[in-house]
Amino acid sequence: MSALFTFLGTRFVRALVALWLVSTVVFVVMRLSGDPVPLLLPPDAPRAEIFRVRAELGLDRPILVQYGVFLGNVLAGDFGRSIHFREPAMRVVASYLPATVELGLAAFALAALVALPIGVVSAVKRNSLLDHMAMSLALVGQAAPTFFLGILFILLISLKAGLVPTSGRGTWMHLVLPALTLGAFAMASIARLTRSAVLEALGMDYVRTARAKGLAEIWVVAKHTLRNAALPIVTITGLQFGTLLGGAVVTETVFAWPGIGRLAIQSIYNRDYPVVQAAVFLSAVMFIILNFVIDVIYGVLDPRVRAR
Amino acid sequence: MARVTRRALLKGAAALGAAAAVAQVPDIARAQTTGKRELVWAQGGDISKFDPHFSTSANDIRISFNLYDNLVSRHPDQKLYPGLATEWKLEGQTTWRFKLRQGVKWHNGDPFTSADAKWSLERTYDPSVKARVNTVFTTIDRIEAPDATTLVIHTKKPDPLLPQRLAFYGGQIVPMKYVQKVGNDEFNSKPVGTGPIKFVSWTKDDKIVMDANKDYWGGKPDFDRMIVRAVPEMAPRVAALLKGEVDIITQLPPDQGERVNGHPSTRVAGALYAGLYVLAVNSKVKPLDNPLVKQALALAIDRDAIVKELWRGRGIVPSGPIAKGDNHFDASLPPLAYNPKEARERLRKAGYKNEEVVIETTSGYMANDKPMAEAIQGMWRDVGINAKVEIVEYSVRAQKNRDKSFKGCWWSDPTSTLGDPDGMMWRLLGPGGPQDYWRHAEWDELGNAARFSVDEKFRGEAYKKMTRIVLEHFPWIPVIQPYEDYGLQKYVDWTPNPNQQFEIRRFAFKFKRA
Amino acid sequence: MASSIPASAPAEVAPAAAALPTTRRRTRRLVIAGGLFVVALTAMAVTAPWIAPRDPERQSLRARLKAPGWEAPDGRAHVLGTDHLGRDILSRVIYGARVSLIVGFAAVVVGGLVGATLGIMAGFRGGFVDTVVMTLADAQLAFPFILLAIGIIAVLGPSFPTLIVVVGLSGWVGYARILRSQVLVLRSREFIDAIHALGGSVGRIVIRHLLPNVASSLIVIATLELARAIVLEATLSFLGLGIQPPTPSWGGMIHEGREYLDSAWWISTFPGLVLMATSLVVSRTGDWLRDLLDPTLRGE
Repeated sequence: MSALFTFLGTRFVRALVALWLVSTVVFVVMRLSGDPVPLLLPPDAPRAEIFRVRAELGLDRPILVQYGVFLGNVLAGDFGRSIHFREPAMRVVASYLPATVELGLAAFALAALVALPIGVVSAVKRNSLLDHMAMSLALVGQAAPTFFLGILFILLISLKAGLVPTSGRGTWMHLVLPALTLGAFAMASIARLTRSAVLEALGMDYVRTARAKGLAEIWVVAKHTLRNAALPIVTITGLQFGTLLGGAVVTETVFAWPGIGRLAIQSIYNRDYPVVQAAVFLSAVMFIILNFVIDVIYGVLDPRVRAR
Repeated sequence: MARVTRRALLKGAAALGAAAAVAQVPDIARAQTTGKRELVWAQGGDISKFDPHFSTSANDIRISFNLYDNLVSRHPDQKLYPGLATEWKLEGQTTWRFKLRQGVKWHNGDPFTSADAKWSLERTYDPSVKARVNTVFTTIDRIEAPDATTLVIHTKKPDPLLPQRLAFYGGQIVPMKYVQKVGNDEFNSKPVGTGPIKFVSWTKDDKIVMDANKDYWGGKPDFDRMIVRAVPEMAPRVAALLKGEVDIITQLPPDQGERVNGHPSTRVAGALYAGLYVLAVNSKVKPLDNPLVKQALALAIDRDAIVKELWRGRGIVPSGPIAKGDNHFDASLPPLAYNPKEARERLRKAGYKNEEVVIETTSGYMANDKPMAEAIQGMWRDVGINAKVEIVEYSVRAQKNRDKSFKGCWWSDPTSTLGDPDGMMWRLLGPGGPQDYWRHAEWDELGNAARFSVDEKFRGEAYKKMTRIVLEHFPWIPVIQPYEDYGLQKYVDWTPNPNQQFEIRRFAFKFKRA
Repeated sequence: MASSIPASAPAEVAPAAAALPTTRRRTRRLVIAGGLFVVALTAMAVTAPWIAPRDPERQSLRARLKAPGWEAPDGRAHVLGTDHLGRDILSRVIYGARVSLIVGFAAVVVGGLVGATLGIMAGFRGGFVDTVVMTLADAQLAFPFILLAIGIIAVLGPSFPTLIVVVGLSGWVGYARILRSQVLVLRSREFIDAIHALGGSVGRIVIRHLLPNVASSLIVIATLELARAIVLEATLSFLGLGIQPPTPSWGGMIHEGREYLDSAWWISTFPGLVLMATSLVVSRTGDWLRDLLDPTLRGE
């Protein structure tokens, strides 16, 4: 048991350090990227005014002092006030969060729902026409730029076929296209991964035995292989979550979806440091927690992981 | 039990199909009229503020000019009409007396008085407020409110354009009592005005919901509710219009006009922009400090091709730094010439030594900004100019604007805020202005004199001379005066305003009813 | 692996059946075909000035948005049509291979060098160094990459080298993880300790014993990364952070054409097809290569 605790403890410390690294990098990059003050004041504001506003925002202090203050505040859960929105940065981010969570979950659910059966069928019917087609489609899903897919979907599925609304947030119908667009990459990855995981499991001795015993194909797959295939699939789930957020930047722009991806990119352009810091921090925390949980599940389920 | 035969089913299906077909016919007829009580329109970005004194961006003023009223109102015909002031007159040289409308109520029920107007205008230039529009009313000396319906404005020197200034941004009147009570931040999140729409809710980067102001002094607008959506990408915005999800879209690129006009239920409406698209020039860097080089740059641009091909004819070739439709626009001046041979000749005379000329362009901030920059780069290369295009992000442009650190040429879309050169070329190119990269003693003197003269004939002469100087030194290289196009449902009867105001008051907007 | 987060490239397990002799022969042929495709593409990029029918930056507003096959006044047809500035799409697609391939290959090299170095260090040194490297990897994966890219490009300004560094650094974790785990496996074998005891250097161990063992994994990750980098360049173009105009790149062309998908589909469709085909062939070749090279499968 102590091995498990050591393992969990190490992972926890690493997670904290990773968070600190992420916060530091975003702090440094944002400070280097430019000054928010010109975007706040009229273009012909006098120099004295610029210095005053800089002082007010604490931007006139030495960078190390600013960094110290920033870290202290983060520890206290305070990300400062948004320069652009004039309200607490975390509150701004939190108000955009539900839209992204909704989109992310829908994208993931859709991806898993479509990809898992495709992966299993492809593996069972390996090298069939169906397999080749599914895997080629998966590769297209991985190779097409997100913005291109999104606009294509709007033109074909929404405008031409008239099935769902073009953009915006509202009913579940509004969710279909952005979720499909955002989930395309994950869908492709999961389908390919599931296929190979199932293939590997199918090759194992006890599965062969089960087959030899004459158990129905579908039963063999369900009972023996999916459980074995589950671990890598869970893993990729955690990983894909990270790329989902990145993809959300583009997807949310194309579909006018009011989520934190769009907020983050606009805040970078507005040099709204507090909001960018809060948004990146929040998404990093979610990513790390998710992967921590997956690690723990791994550690508990599979003693070999701990041992190594 | 009666057996449903296959045949009967087929018949039924046929009948249903026929019913659907019948329903289709009125659909097309209905496309031209509507029973809608809700106006939905989409623009290219979300607003940043409701407080009208803290933003001048096009996205924001489309809302704020409807949420609030100005003392003076500029209609789509570009003429001035009564707003919160019913009449005004100049007394002597520097005193303006405004008679204010009676019985107007703020959205929260408070009565509107001259105290609001006085406080509101003073708020724009009060240094402690740090308003974004702090330079709009610099000609004002002091304001008096002798009684509830009279406002007297004293200017420092004669200011013939004060009513025009009051009609544009900075001139939106905000409620004194309310703002003082709740503070600027709260006012910005729960705005109160006197305009035809009332604030309901704002979901950032998604939509703004407004209710019609039933008691509006100019008449209740022709809808019960207005929803404004922010759709940044052009393709989804146009798709939303064609699919009938929205009634109006802004920023329709010229290349999309055909599609919108070709659709059975939509059309294009445009207004010639009250302003110009120009390449502003940093005349302090080599080789742009040499007027001959700048003349060559201007001569090398094939504006006809840009207007006809890139803009599909949705624009005109400018003749100088004054926009068509403005005071003192000289209709006798020919459009700017395209003469590559002469351009080469001037470069030779200038002793041009292949120095790099950089165009810094945004991508998608102004209509056709990047394609025009690339097209002009090609034209300049054709006459032997070492031209380079650099794409800068909008915030970088703002920073460069502030630091006055543009490398060569950059896009500017000066809006004629007053319908007069004073509100355009003098505002931007004048000494200390945001685009002060070039000084010319005579030009400066003329501009100053014209600003403070009430003699229109004198002013006309001054702007004529100033135009001539600009066309020799090119602190701006004017490229096009475009149409600003909107996509509309055919059941929308709406007149766009040339100066980026989005007028939804009764005189400009109606749904066509059956 | 101490962490559950695998290589950023989906760590697929090779189909066991790939080891069957007939399938192996077919796989080998596929790998060769994929390799030839990449060689052909590279040749196209290198010889672009000779094989492109026109100057890719030459524009003509009067010939804009012309459909494929349109004959220009000079009597020569634009085989794939023209873009919104009247530039020849075919020539731009040919020249665009340069940017896409340079960004792709350079990103693979940058990411590979950084990732391999860190991974080997982590594996051999273990302990603190290992923890540091793996924590760095955690942080990198937790950081929404696009935002980091925007930030870095905002600081350094968009340029070719910046783009390569940004795209390259986004992919180091995959290499690091694979190499680290391979080193761990290697270290657990006794002969390494023996070499060490006999005074053999780490460098020697790496070159003689480690690299041959990990070569196949590295190549597979590299091919997947190559495909990813090419698509990423397109995404950065969408955010206005790509190659500066008028230099053509596939990503930039797809981006410019997105507003014309309905009226002039050819602007983004052709570069899009080439991009997808490249990405598809390259990553598929990676898969096949793995089937072919994976030492764990050879024994079967």
